[in-house]
Amino acid sequence: MTILRNSAALLGAMALMATAASAEIKVGFIGSLSSDTGLSTLRGAEMAIDELNAKGGVLGQQIVLVKADTGEDVTEGVKAYEFLAETEEVDFIISGSIDDVSLGWLPRMQEFQIPTLDTWTSYVGIIDMIVDDYDSMRPYFMNIASDEALATLYIDFGKDVLKEKMGWDSVVILAEDTAFGGAITGLVTEALAPNAGIDVTEIISFDITTNDFAPIFAKAEASGADFIYLVSSVNSQVVSSQYVKLQVPMGMTGVNVAALGHEFWEDTGGAGGGISTLSPVPSLGFALDPVNAEFLAQYQARYDTRPSIPHFNGYNAYHGLKQAMAAAEEAGGFELDAWVPAMEKQDDIFKKDGEMWLRWGWWGNDEIEPRTGRAYPHNIRFDITEPYDEGAPSMVVIQWYEDGTNAVVYPDKFKTGEFVLPSWVKK
Amino acid sequence: MGLRWYHFAMWAGFIALMYAMPELVSKGTLRTFIFANFLAVFAISWDVLSGRTGYISFGHPFLIGIGAYTTAILTKRFDVAIEISIPIAVVVTMIASTLFILPALRIRGSYFALVTLAFMELIYQLVQVIRPDLTGGTRGMSGIQTLTRGAVNGYYMSLSLMLAVAISMWLLMRTRVGTALSAIGMSEDSVLGSGLSTTRLKLFAFLTGAFVAGLGGAFYVHYLGSIAPRALFDINFVFTIIVAALIGGSSTIIGPMVGAFFLTYLLEYLRPYLPGAERYFIYGGIALLLYMYQPKGIYHIVMQAWERFKPGKSA
Repeated sequence: MTILRNSAALLGAMALMATAASAEIKVGFIGSLSSDTGLSTLRGAEMAIDELNAKGGVLGQQIVLVKADTGEDVTEGVKAYEFLAETEEVDFIISGSIDDVSLGWLPRMQEFQIPTLDTWTSYVGIIDMIVDDYDSMRPYFMNIASDEALATLYIDFGKDVLKEKMGWDSVVILAEDTAFGGAITGLVTEALAPNAGIDVTEIISFDITTNDFAPIFAKAEASGADFIYLVSSVNSQVVSSQYVKLQVPMGMTGVNVAALGHEFWEDTGGAGGGISTLSPVPSLGFALDPVNAEFLAQYQARYDTRPSIPHFNGYNAYHGLKQAMAAAEEAGGFELDAWVPAMEKQDDIFKKDGEMWLRWGWWGNDEIEPRTGRAYPHNIRFDITEPYDEGAPSMVVIQWYEDGTNAVVYPDKFKTGEFVLPSWVKK
Repeated sequence: MGLRWYHFAMWAGFIALMYAMPELVSKGTLRTFIFANFLAVFAISWDVLSGRTGYISFGHPFLIGIGAYTTAILTKRFDVAIEISIPIAVVVTMIASTLFILPALRIRGSYFALVTLAFMELIYQLVQVIRPDLTGGTRGMSGIQTLTRGAVNGYYMSLSLMLAVAISMWLLMRTRVGTALSAIGMSEDSVLGSGLSTTRLKLFAFLTGAFVAGLGGAFYVHYLGSIAPRALFDINFVFTIIVAALIGGSSTIIGPMVGAFFLTYLLEYLRPYLPGAERYFIYGGIALLLYMYQPKGIYHIVMQAWERFKPGKSA
């Protein structure tokens, strides 16, 4: 009998030890594992987790990361979210998903009510959903400036640089035939052009598998516009390099996703000079504060595959994940009634030379952004008014030069170089 | 109809097993079952239209999407009740399917396949540019009313739909009309020569396939709670549906169901071990091997094995 009792006690103790050993905070990553943007979020999260684990973890437990690939497919995104929520039962989800993928899994987030942070999706419609239905959307946070804020500052670039400095009055839009291409084209025609006083002469749509852009550039030139506005997120290096190799005699700016990455120069075979694009911050060429410079140095020491410099969402993932865990520590876990208010209070300000430079904080739930006149609950606290002393700018414009370097060219406060025309384009 | 008692016994056993599944597996596994159930519905509807008649459609998501978008727009934009919007969506899909019938009266083979593919591309473009205030444009719509919440309820809903479709189509295909449809796939000229109207038969097949596709699409969107043009009008979605039907065994009802479950489970089973795109290589490799071994699909592999080893078979 004694042997039996001792054995039972031993088994009980072993079970307790096993339970204690398996107690852990589970973080789920949802996004593409084969894109530079997806990998940026993943790696930012990995670095934050390792840093936190080295300091003892969160709530006395180690953090483990579970990955779920979306392949940038909407339905796969729903399955990936369900996998993280029901099979892996994660405590927190960090997302590097693109817009329509996030919209696909959002109903699952509303159903499972798992704290979720989006680092790449910028669709302001999601922020509007938080305004309309706070109760079911409260676990959701977006720490990239939403597209309304991106657009507002980009219109300023149109007025200040394209119109006033360059003297351009008309634009021809070259847009890829994708969801992204359609959305940005709408933004340019409805917002940039009328507000900056620039006429849209023609919209030319091209297939993402296009290899020969000579006829398209010829058509753009024939439109008589002063410059080209390019919208390209897939295989952008092809159109970029052909613009350079064909020495198209017009300026070109716009949204060029390939140009956001450090590998752009290599991907274009060195033919990327003159290309410019808007980018959320911190972008390539963005002067970093000491804390984020240290993050970048550690990132480069740790990862030797692309992206060799993380996209902006890598920084968002790094800071956002640490904030989510700090909120859990303060709230005693991820129970929403306590975690959400704790997360809403997170505010990390990074200064450079004594000035506000980058900020990962949140707009208040009832706070109105003065320029756009709308509320941005659970959206990163951006600033779209000079002198940008309330937060980081919603976006900057970066340009690649013909010697392979790059710089931020707008807004003035953050610029590290000038917006210039390629050498073959006459003013 | 050639119905035997063991047919019903097998269906009853299958239904009992499937309804007991929530007691046997985890919620995560049930979610996989839900997607498999929907894929089975889509594969059956494709098989009714294409597997039977031989008119291979690459535009099936066109029909599924019409059903899904119709009910999504009606419920989200006009506050129409789901019980009204789903029947409307099915009717709209059936009307839209008549667009498929027009080319089918004149062309077949690869030409017909390409025309249907063009329909899908056309609708993909249209939903993005025409009334984006209704369709949600390029990003689609989120926050669409759902029929159920939770894995168990979602499973019962999708299972009931799949079983209703499968049994109805199984019974239909055992009628003389079903036999005539299969005969069109073998030799349309012979069916015509026997005095039957192939136009009417094709019309029937297309409307039936559209009915199931529209019904499946409508329920699917009210399960997901979101819809995006890239998710529906996508070449990968077409291939998944066709591969499920072919790998399971086309011109049968069980085949597309088996194919749908096999493919969905294979991918989800591999997810924890291969979270990236690598699992698609294994998926493709296994599908290729199976198809090379038996082009008629898994159903025929099982039937061959049954014929070889069934009790009472003489050596």
